[in-house]
Amino acid sequence: MKLNIFYILLIFLLVGCASPEKDKNGKLYIVTTTGMLYDAVINIGKEKVDAQALMGPGVDPHLYKATQGDLSKLNQADVVIYNGLLLEGKMGDILKKLGRTKAVYAAAEQIDQSTLLTSVQYENAYDPHIWFDVTIWKQAVTRISEALQSEDSVNSQFYQQNTEVYLQRLDSLHEFVKTSISSIPENQRILVTAHDAFRYFGRAYDIRVEGLQGISTVSDFGLRDIAEITDLIINNKIKAIFVETSVSDRAIKAVMQGCNERGHDVKIGGYLYSDAMGKFGTYEGSYVGMIESNVKTITEELK
Amino acid sequence: MNLETLIEFFSLQNPNVRYVVLGSVLLSVSSAIVGCFTFLKKKALLGDVVSHAVLPGICISFMVSGTKDPFLLIIGAFLSGWLSIIILDYIVANSKIKEDTATGLSLSVFFGVGILLLTVIQHSGNAAQSGLDSFLFGKAAALVGKDLLAFSIIASIILIVVYLFYKEFELVCFDQEYARSIGVPVKRIELLLTSITVLAVVTGIQAVGVVLMSAMLITPAAAGKFWTNKLSVMLLLASLFGAFSGIAGAYISYTAPSMPTGPWIVVVLSFIAILSFFFAPEKGILIKLFKQRKIRLQLLEENLLKSFYKIGEINADFTAARSNEELIEIRRFSTAQFKEGLSRLSNQGFIKKTNGTWSLTNDGLQKGMRVVKLHRLWELYLTKYLRIAPDHVHEDADTIEHVITPEIEERLEKLLEYPEADPHSSNIPYN
Amino acid sequence: MIQQVEEPVLEIHDLTVSYDKKPVLWGIDLSVPKGAIAGIVGPNGAGKSTLIKSIMGLTSLSSGYVKIFDEELEQVRSRVSYVPQRESVDWDFPASVLDVVLMGRYARIGLFKRPRRADIEAALFALKQVGMDKFKTRQISQLSGGQQQRVFLARALTQQADIYFMDEPFAGVDAATEKAIIQILKKLAEDGKTVIVVHHDLQSVSTYFDWVIMLNLRLVASGPTDKVFTPELLEETYGGKLTLLTEVGELMKKGQYPTREKQ
Repeated sequence: MKLNIFYILLIFLLVGCASPEKDKNGKLYIVTTTGMLYDAVINIGKEKVDAQALMGPGVDPHLYKATQGDLSKLNQADVVIYNGLLLEGKMGDILKKLGRTKAVYAAAEQIDQSTLLTSVQYENAYDPHIWFDVTIWKQAVTRISEALQSEDSVNSQFYQQNTEVYLQRLDSLHEFVKTSISSIPENQRILVTAHDAFRYFGRAYDIRVEGLQGISTVSDFGLRDIAEITDLIINNKIKAIFVETSVSDRAIKAVMQGCNERGHDVKIGGYLYSDAMGKFGTYEGSYVGMIESNVKTITEELK
Repeated sequence: MNLETLIEFFSLQNPNVRYVVLGSVLLSVSSAIVGCFTFLKKKALLGDVVSHAVLPGICISFMVSGTKDPFLLIIGAFLSGWLSIIILDYIVANSKIKEDTATGLSLSVFFGVGILLLTVIQHSGNAAQSGLDSFLFGKAAALVGKDLLAFSIIASIILIVVYLFYKEFELVCFDQEYARSIGVPVKRIELLLTSITVLAVVTGIQAVGVVLMSAMLITPAAAGKFWTNKLSVMLLLASLFGAFSGIAGAYISYTAPSMPTGPWIVVVLSFIAILSFFFAPEKGILIKLFKQRKIRLQLLEENLLKSFYKIGEINADFTAARSNEELIEIRRFSTAQFKEGLSRLSNQGFIKKTNGTWSLTNDGLQKGMRVVKLHRLWELYLTKYLRIAPDHVHEDADTIEHVITPEIEERLEKLLEYPEADPHSSNIPYN
Repeated sequence: MIQQVEEPVLEIHDLTVSYDKKPVLWGIDLSVPKGAIAGIVGPNGAGKSTLIKSIMGLTSLSSGYVKIFDEELEQVRSRVSYVPQRESVDWDFPASVLDVVLMGRYARIGLFKRPRRADIEAALFALKQVGMDKFKTRQISQLSGGQQQRVFLARALTQQADIYFMDEPFAGVDAATEKAIIQILKKLAEDGKTVIVVHHDLQSVSTYFDWVIMLNLRLVASGPTDKVFTPELLEETYGGKLTLLTEVGELMKKGQYPTREKQ
């Protein structure tokens, strides 16, 4: 009697572990890590692809650890697209392993390295936050499009057309950002955020950026970092500093209080979308929306 | 680290520095005091259980309220921390599982559930959830005025409770059965102790995080115990160590970039504990080693003098010069020890050197004679009163001869009635 | 031979104690008169400590009751004093001799209050009685076994109780201390106090105690020493366990049977 129950349970266990039915309707199934990559894929493939992002809004890709559910999605995917340059710091092993048996593309790693920024803290590593320079992001989008076209040559014409349209959209976005940021008086053009995510943004659009934590949120900050940032804010009479949706706001709030106590009224300008977009389906839940929203927030608060 | 930074820091002009220093001190002192009692009760891991058990409470609070309102999160933390102890006690009382197993069980199950919930929250896509995991590792550098207020209140509560219930805590930690027998409400006192532990933990983890919290409870108490045998002094020392570490941790965090405050506080605490372990008078390892060395040297010197005396006995000439070879024949020493022993005896004036040979001074003769006398008296005592065979008493006497004090020597002489010979018919010298 | 007493200070009726459903004391029925110095003797594992602990309410009873001065323990706690076994405590605890002895007054002092002059005097007086007044500031970790026992006794004396329960007070104690303790007990008895002691050394029973309780999982005898401390009764107490009883006990433990069914 006991043995029978054991076997029944074992069978349930095995069945439960078996993958659910694959969507065999012929469409490419693409799984991305960040929402920004997902957004790029959707704009290229539109209704002819099935896509999913593992990391939702408010999720920090530096710290994200894949779950069992994520693994099964990755296994079922036809194509996996991730950012690379160590953005997905804790998924490195998994992605490497997947790469041996699947079509796995690191969007940021196929870009011309001369355009990349190096990391200050880590030798031989690049800053992975490439999506904040729209022109570099355009390159990533192009690479993704090439990848999709090679994986699904039937629809490659379709993908190519969509890509060209989208790239034009990105061009006008780039101009928009440039104009908006340059409208901020130069002495106010300092962007203080929770971590060093905006260095490409700073370089591309001529605005000074300072983050409390380093390039990766894995690195911790101390009293010195807080002291230095508060000094910077006070000395430059910065009006607003910014929190990020994917990082704890405690540190920035402490900085704000420190400044206020020392007699300088700085406020929290608002939430920036740094390593994650807004809620899917909303305006900020798209790449373009995320950048535009950030720019609007920054411009309004710093002017 | 330069003078400028030092002055900047201690002037406390920078408000962030003020917050972090005061907050760290308040939190360290609260934890140290509470930690002393759990340490003495031999339930040091209780703090560890509570630290890990607060995680599910925090997550559930967040899931229910949808916000990171610190007040609500603390309530959630407090409740689940409390619950973990109740369950632990229940398991121990109502099953065959022993306390250490129950501790491990409670800790890991609660923590596991907590991590599970945390992962669920992280995947839920709620943008407000970022930073919930700062409870895991704490963010001492980001303490602000509001936190200070909470810490001060908690610290005051803890200090008041400890002050009011000092003798009950002391008694319950020392002798629970007796406490119960005289009618002290032991269960309620323990509940109170648990409550202040949970309070200390719940506030502390916001600064140093779950993983390091138990160090804040245990280390100051362990370090303090090395220096004193009085409870009140131990509490004071633990608090001082805690406060010092809080300030030092904040200072280190101030002097260099990317140095998180919480972990540095714990590092300084551990350093203090290690120092205590080595250097505390009486209980410190180094002191013990020092004492052992003293004894070793005493043994070496006295044994050497014995050799001199014994050679002297052969021809009844005690002050003649002796060569190294003659001495070694009586009793073997290692070369290094031999040299060391001779040089020390010479420095202290018990022997003098003449042309490569050594001879006893008067003081040396007296001392050597005494040791030989004690050896033989003791051998006699062993054979007479313990009825040990004469060929078995030598090793024992070899050790005891160095231990006998003048008072005991007198009593031995009297008891044995001033004997003239030992069990091997050797002469017992009296001066 | 179980002699019951009229107006006993301690009355135990049908007391059974079980650990994990296995009875370790079966149906104890005894009484002890006022002013007695009673010794509880029996082989290892006989349940002597368990008996004391159950009287003091430290272990729960599976059946029966205990009456002290014809009341429940709760009502008369202030008149009852308990000296636990020396090993039940970690002597490395940071406290001085005086600290420990003062603990005997804590119930009297009450919550929230500090020991007063009178309490300290009482503690010092008790220390004098046991000959430890010169050691009052000594740390308890530095005491010998005999000194530790005296401290425990002094702590009990400060309670100024009417009945004293002591668990193996002479274990591991030097001859001088043993003598001193017995003197104190005899004085207590002279003053009308009752003393009940778990004892392990049969040689000294007749000189120390005027009442003997002989225990081995069950009560073998209880009564005046000259009547009860006989070779026959000693043989019964020490002559090996009752095998049937032991086996039945194991069965009850295995099947987790209740000691008493609900009526």
